[in-house]
Amino acid sequence: MNDKQDFFKLISYMVTSARGCIDEPKIYGSFRLLDSVCKLYNILEEEKLIKDDKLKEVVNKIKDNKYNSFKNKEKFINALDMIIVDLVDLMD
Amino acid sequence: MVTIMDVIKKRRSVRNYKNKKVEKKIIKELILAGTWAPSGSNIQSWKFVIVDNNNIKEKIDTFSPGLMGNPPNLIVFCYDKELAYEKGGKLGRDELGKMDICMAAQNIMLLATEKNISTCPVKSFNSNALKKILKLPDYIDPVLIVSLGYSDKQPSPPNRKSVDQVSFYNEWGD
Repeated sequence: MNDKQDFFKLISYMVTSARGCIDEPKIYGSFRLLDSVCKLYNILEEEKLIKDDKLKEVVNKIKDNKYNSFKNKEKFINALDMIIVDLVDLMD
Repeated sequence: MVTIMDVIKKRRSVRNYKNKKVEKKIIKELILAGTWAPSGSNIQSWKFVIVDNNNIKEKIDTFSPGLMGNPPNLIVFCYDKELAYEKGGKLGRDELGKMDICMAAQNIMLLATEKNISTCPVKSFNSNALKKILKLPDYIDPVLIVSLGYSDKQPSPPNRKSVDQVSFYNEWGD
């Protein structure tokens, strides 16, 4: 039941964000996408549907940096660029 | 002695709360501070919906992407747009009612800060969802959520533009 609730909450969060982002500052869209990644990963991990230390490391970097979207845009962009490179490495 | 400026500078937007509700007596004091804010034409169209029920709080959280840190209490600032229009015309309904809410919210957040209670103003929520969850009548609109609770985490202050950058005497540019 709890997994369904968390999943329902994630869907609601994403749909509500899709509506909100039409009127909200552009940077909120980036934040909400990254926040959704964190929420999705938490659900998959709690349901034991994923166990990947390297991917978890990337998600932790996202968690550490997502609030920089509001505080320090340059730092946020640099961190995202590095995280994307990390994701490319994970494909090998 | 703590000055108003001390409190103003101490207030931070906090997004990480302990699981401890704020006492109803304190919340009543906070709302009182809100009702002492300036109000255009003294219409006072504001309404404050205090939420501490976990079930309702979770529903609000689900449709409020800007709400973070699992706050134990919420104040949903609403206004009576019919009253605002009746007493203040279009200006009252479209602007003054919402401006009043902002000033009331600042009063509340500053008094909360003085009492070592953390807050965060949140505008990213879905109004229609909130109206349904809180069973608000058609003429009542939610304008702002302020999360409320105790926290160990005090974020560092973000950069502020200097007074010289944002103020002028008598004419623009001076």
